[in-house]
This record gives sequence, C-alpha cells and structure tokens, in this order.
Amino acid sequence: MANIKALVVDDSKIMRSAVKRALNQLMIADFEYVEAKDGEDALSKFNEEIEIMFVDWNMPNMTGVEFSQAVRAEGNEHIPIIMVTAEKSMGKVDKALNEGGANEYITKPFTADKMHKAISDYFDDDGNIATEGEDEEEDKSFFQGILNS
Amino acid sequence: MSIETLDRIDDLDEIPAEMVEKVQESVINTFGSIIGEELSFVDEASDDSALNGIIGNVTVFNSEHTLSLMLAIPKETALYFSEVFIGMPLPFKSDDMGDLIGEISNILAGDVAANVEKVGFRGQSSLPTATRGSDLTLFMPNKPPTKKMKFVSANSEFWLTMVLSESK
Repeated sequence: MANIKALVVDDSKIMRSAVKRALNQLMIADFEYVEAKDGEDALSKFNEEIEIMFVDWNMPNMTGVEFSQAVRAEGNEHIPIIMVTAEKSMGKVDKALNEGGANEYITKPFTADKMHKAISDYFDDDGNIATEGEDEEEDKSFFQGILNS
Repeated sequence: MSIETLDRIDDLDEIPAEMVEKVQESVINTFGSIIGEELSFVDEASDDSALNGIIGNVTVFNSEHTLSLMLAIPKETALYFSEVFIGMPLPFKSDDMGDLIGEISNILAGDVAANVEKVGFRGQSSLPTATRGSDLTLFMPNKPPTKKMKFVSANSEFWLTMVLSESK
C-alpha cells in the first residue's frame, strides 16, 4: 500500500482520533497524519507533501471553510478536501462544496463505512491518490490505444 | 410553528411545541447513532436535583434569537459514552472527557440546527463548552422560556435543558 500524508483538522482531539481510526480501519493506504486544531494551525502545517485533507467546519480562529478557501486560493486544486462536520443543513453542504471548494462532505457521527463511501474514489488500487489529471491521462492512453490498434 | 410565531417569541412563556418536538427528534436520532441504542424521551423532567457529572453547552443562534442546549450527563453515562464513542472508558476527570462531551454537544447542535430550520428557525451553531463538577444545578436568570427533558437508553440516562432567549 502506498504511503499517504493526510492532514486532519479538528478542534477536538477526540474527533481527530476518530477520523484516524476510521481511516486506519479502511486499509486502503498507509496513512501518515499531520494534525491541526483549527484552520490557522492547519494553514501553518500545510505543505506540498499533504495529499488529502479531512477538515472540520466549526472551529475557533479559522473555520474549515475559510481554511479550504485559503488552500484553494493558493492553487492547490488537486488535493482532495473531505469536510467532516456536524453541520447538516443543505445550505451548509452547498457552501462547503461550492464556496469552500471541498470535494466531499461527511456528517458526524460517522462510521468507517461512511468514510469509505466518501473517499474510495480518490484512491487507486495501490492506495495512491487518484488525481483527476492521472485519470484523464489514463483515459487518454486508453483511447489512444484503441486508435492505434 | 411558523416564522411569525417566532417573531412573537418575547410574548411567549414557553418554547413553541413544534420546536421542542424537533429538538427531541434530534436528540433521539443523534444519540441513537452515537451509542447504537434506541433512546426514548421519558418525561418533562421538573426536578432540580443536583448533578454529579458533566454539562455540555452549545447554542443555535441567529441575530434575533438564541436556542441554548444544555446536556446534563451523569458520570456513569459519560463514562459509557466514552466507551462506545472511542472504544475505551476515558478518565472522568480528564480533558479528553470534556473534549468528548463538547464534541457530542456539537454533533447534537448540528442536527438541531438542521431540524429546527424545518419549522422556521434558521440559525448556526456555536462552539461547544463543557463543565464538569458535582452538585451542579442550572439556573436560568430572568426566566426565559425553558424546557427540561429526560432521555434514557439501555445503558444511559441524561437530561437536556433547552432555553429560548433574545440574542444580545
């Protein structure tokens, strides 16, 4: 399995542990975790090695949506952002996905199964992050192969 | 309950029944998911007996009104929640226990915010706090509309006090 560096952002240590435990149970990759207690802390710990992020919404100093917007504003469109939050109204979901640039939305409390459904599309069979660019390249190669045959 | 009803909230001496019903529904659904047990609403608890446990506080608010939710969780129930939530009992007198009850309050507030929106109260949830102690009693200054309810499951019991007041 591939080694994946994941940023887990939540003001609750208990919830950060719950996210890590659920991810470990999935066994889709060997996760190495960087933890942050709010959006500001997450921004200070964010770097180019981070491959996927699990972000709470309601946190002091900087919310998860504000953090996601800041990350996207720096051009990191390829990194999957999974919003893991207690906020459940459709307006909040819409805001996180459209204004915050999150890729997926998981409501608390969650199970490992719920986590798997949300994130499995972002991993290939080897446990690497399947980016859109890679998918497109694979698609292009596939079609190119048909054309050449 | 309509938005018009909420506009007259200052004239009300109790929380609108539809709002109470939505909060009850949220409590049963949220805790049912967390502990995996069927939960039931017992009664409108009127006793003011002191608590030895933890109180989780959180609000759902907008510019006009604040719905405060105070979860009164006895020590034994808090220990049980920690066991089912993280797989082991946390020490009662630990920061982690406060963190857990705060997070449970936060999860409840998220569900309540989405649920009371259906009856006209659109608000956002605050950050939660938790208070641990013995002989804890809740006092409501100025007597705003208040509802105290008791919930039980096979292995837990706790109380929820909800208060509706003007946002200041």
